[in-house]
Amino acid sequence: MLFNSLQYLVFLPTVFLLYWLLPQKARVPLLLVASYVFYCSWRPIYGLLIFGLTLGTFLLVPFIEKARLSETGKHIFSAKAWLTIIVSINLLLLGIFKYAYFTLDMVKGGLSLAGIDWKEPHLHIILPLGISFFVFEFIHYAVEVYRGKPVVKSFMALALFAGFFPTQIAGPIKRYQDFVPQLTEKFKFKWEYVDEGMQLILMGLAKKVLLADNLALVAQAGFAHPENFSSVDTLFITYAFAFQIFFDFAGYTDVARGSALLFGYKVPINFNLPYLAHNVSDFWNRWHISLSTWLRDYLFIPLGGSRCSLWLNYRNLFITMALGGLWHGAAPHFLAWGVYQGLVLILHKEYLRLLEFTGIAKAIQNNPTLAKVYHVFSVICTFHIVCIGWVFFRAENMKNAWDVIGKLMTVPAELMHFSLNQLTILQLRDPIIFPALIILIPGLMISHVVVNWLNDKSFYKNPPWAVQVGVMVALMCLLTIFSPDSSPRFIYFQF
Amino acid sequence: METAQANSTSLRPSRFKVAKFFAALAIFGALSAGLSAIKFGAVSPDDFPVNTWTSWAIKEFQSRKTAPDVVFLGSSLMLVPLDGVDADFTDKRIDGALHHKSLFFEDKFGKYTGGQKVSTYNFALPGEMPSDAALITKFLLKGQKAPKVLVYGVGPRDFIDNTLPSPAATDPFRYLSRFGDWSDRVSLIVPEWQERLNYELGHLFYPYGNRQQISQSANKKVAGLLDAIVPCPPDRVLSFKDAIALRRKLVPEHNPFEINPDECFFRPVTETPRPGFADNVAEYAKRYKTLKKETFEGQMQFMADILSTARDRNIHVMVVAMPITEVNRKLLSDANWELYKTRLRALADHYETSFYDMHDSGLFAFEDFQDTVHLHAGGGAKLLDEMARVMAKDTATITALQARDDAQDKQLAGRKEQPL
Repeated sequence: MLFNSLQYLVFLPTVFLLYWLLPQKARVPLLLVASYVFYCSWRPIYGLLIFGLTLGTFLLVPFIEKARLSETGKHIFSAKAWLTIIVSINLLLLGIFKYAYFTLDMVKGGLSLAGIDWKEPHLHIILPLGISFFVFEFIHYAVEVYRGKPVVKSFMALALFAGFFPTQIAGPIKRYQDFVPQLTEKFKFKWEYVDEGMQLILMGLAKKVLLADNLALVAQAGFAHPENFSSVDTLFITYAFAFQIFFDFAGYTDVARGSALLFGYKVPINFNLPYLAHNVSDFWNRWHISLSTWLRDYLFIPLGGSRCSLWLNYRNLFITMALGGLWHGAAPHFLAWGVYQGLVLILHKEYLRLLEFTGIAKAIQNNPTLAKVYHVFSVICTFHIVCIGWVFFRAENMKNAWDVIGKLMTVPAELMHFSLNQLTILQLRDPIIFPALIILIPGLMISHVVVNWLNDKSFYKNPPWAVQVGVMVALMCLLTIFSPDSSPRFIYFQF
Repeated sequence: METAQANSTSLRPSRFKVAKFFAALAIFGALSAGLSAIKFGAVSPDDFPVNTWTSWAIKEFQSRKTAPDVVFLGSSLMLVPLDGVDADFTDKRIDGALHHKSLFFEDKFGKYTGGQKVSTYNFALPGEMPSDAALITKFLLKGQKAPKVLVYGVGPRDFIDNTLPSPAATDPFRYLSRFGDWSDRVSLIVPEWQERLNYELGHLFYPYGNRQQISQSANKKVAGLLDAIVPCPPDRVLSFKDAIALRRKLVPEHNPFEINPDECFFRPVTETPRPGFADNVAEYAKRYKTLKKETFEGQMQFMADILSTARDRNIHVMVVAMPITEVNRKLLSDANWELYKTRLRALADHYETSFYDMHDSGLFAFEDFQDTVHLHAGGGAKLLDEMARVMAKDTATITALQARDDAQDKQLAGRKEQPL
């Protein structure tokens, strides 16, 4: 069931009404049943997978606590061993469903390099929706219990933690300490839940349907046929994908958060104006926040984090980001994206060291005007560094990625003799999103700045009634008029 | 933007007891009613956003000053042989988008009747279902544009197509549904609950129900604005044909049904045997996989609607059960095949239309087909020749052709007598 489907238009209000009409004690079971109905509407058999994994985690995690608390030390396994078992089971399942084909391809490639012709077995594995997200939530739960946090006593609570339908398929990746206590809260209905929830849902759908889906046409054309576009066209296409993936995923997150809010639940934010980041490290504090903090807490820090030698710190960063890339998809171009992110984070640290070493950092700090100019320059540079990374992310394969990167590398040369005649996006007048890019892309960039300014002015904390209602009416009109007969799936559903 | 999500988690007490969302919904409802009253963004039904087989057929039909004598209806089973035969007959390539008649049939009919001239119009369209044919009959073949005879060539696929989600999913439906009210058949056209909900929402909220037209109008305005602000550099402006070629290459999924003049030709073929038999067994195995009762009964109802509307308008109908190969026929169970034939015959009998079973005529061999269901031009010539022969001898057809002539003559004569 997609958020941008009629099924969801019926499902959500039905669950909402039942939820608030039923007595408190029936609400969590209702949400659990609804969440399984939501999941099973895709492939009922995979409902068993999420159920089995929940049950296994629920039964095994208490052993970590027991082993940890055991004073006699006579427990069969140590807490660490139990943690290893639970994490391994989760990762094994993720590996089977998500990385089996990739592993076989790698093995086949390796063997063929050694001159061995191996015919890999033909597997019929369909990636269960949301597996990457709920596996990460279970691992987080096990690790937190290992670190001393309490276990979840109620199976239903743990099942709803992983299965909660608004966040089930593509996050945000929740923390059980934040979510599970909400299950015991006695929510009373408030109109604010509807107001805030529906605003988020409408905003999210608008991001997806009006912006992401249209920008997707440009990205699709540009990445499928880079040879047909000039370098400057390719730059616009890369920008278009940068905004497509942002609006697609941020739109999804808005709908997820809005849906959760209708029931009084709060789930974590995932984005905070990522394209205003002034360095790549800052970018990762603003982009897919629930994933980046997960990677920090359960991969980067266990590897040693930054409290170690510089080179070990770099190694940890590199491994974390490379695996983060692979988490997005079992393909070399996702791995390349992760590796690229790791490398640019390392380069950024080296760059900061250089600025410190040369005294430039201090000079910038001491001059407010220079600091402002440098900030703007940093934001622009960071955006472009991120955009280059998106090429690996979006490309069909590595060759395609290099083709597009090759084009982008010649942008400066092309700009030296630039004329509008070079732009294929101006030549293609239908769909109108192609020529509109010339206006839309700068507009979207400026909108980031405007939203940031409004944020600074605390506009969002108390927007006027008329503005809120007006925005909702406008969004309703735009969504009804421009909603296509079928909208593509959210990008992050595939992960 | 996304900061809304960053800050919206702190819930604030509302000054109003009614949720802002419901206030917005109420305003949207009122706005919707207002837009409906002024018909905001409405475009003429024949202002098509994209040219397709359907749009070209409708446009040419609408531009005719007089009604044709004979109209052909059907899917590609009719379209392919009709156009292919004319290519052979005229020894010229036939432009599929623009050719909407059967010169071969007109010639043959004239010969079999000893010189009676008939004009024809080919309203057979790729993928046309009886539901589409019913809309053509109901909305377009009326008044001055009502033909004298309707020839409808049907095949089992028209009633049993598992690959079609609903009658509303065809390209012909998209455009034909603009020409009138089909709410009396809504339960058949949108039988599935989601489609039905979609339809009801469209009725409830004007902007949603008319989104295609409104977005079409908006697109035109935005395109005009873009032409003014960011025009295409003059020396890179493409011809219509080249622009479409470029778009098809770069954005192939955009407007998948689009077709324009000079894009689809039927060329004269002289070779015997004709080249290139296409195996479409797998495709039809999917289409015939199960007989869905709702689809079958629904399409039979539309078939009945066609016959009923035609009877009300004094249009004589000839239903032709089109020939298909035995390979294709055997993809259907005997029971389903019999059901199809029996029901078709029963309908024809009930509405006293002429019925001709070409499949059982024994005239067609495997060699007459270009795949398992479509006749090639050679087979098509046999089909049209036989149709012309049978219709020339069919008293009901001849009577219809003549009776209407008389009626029209009288009508015209009557008009002349009236003072200006």
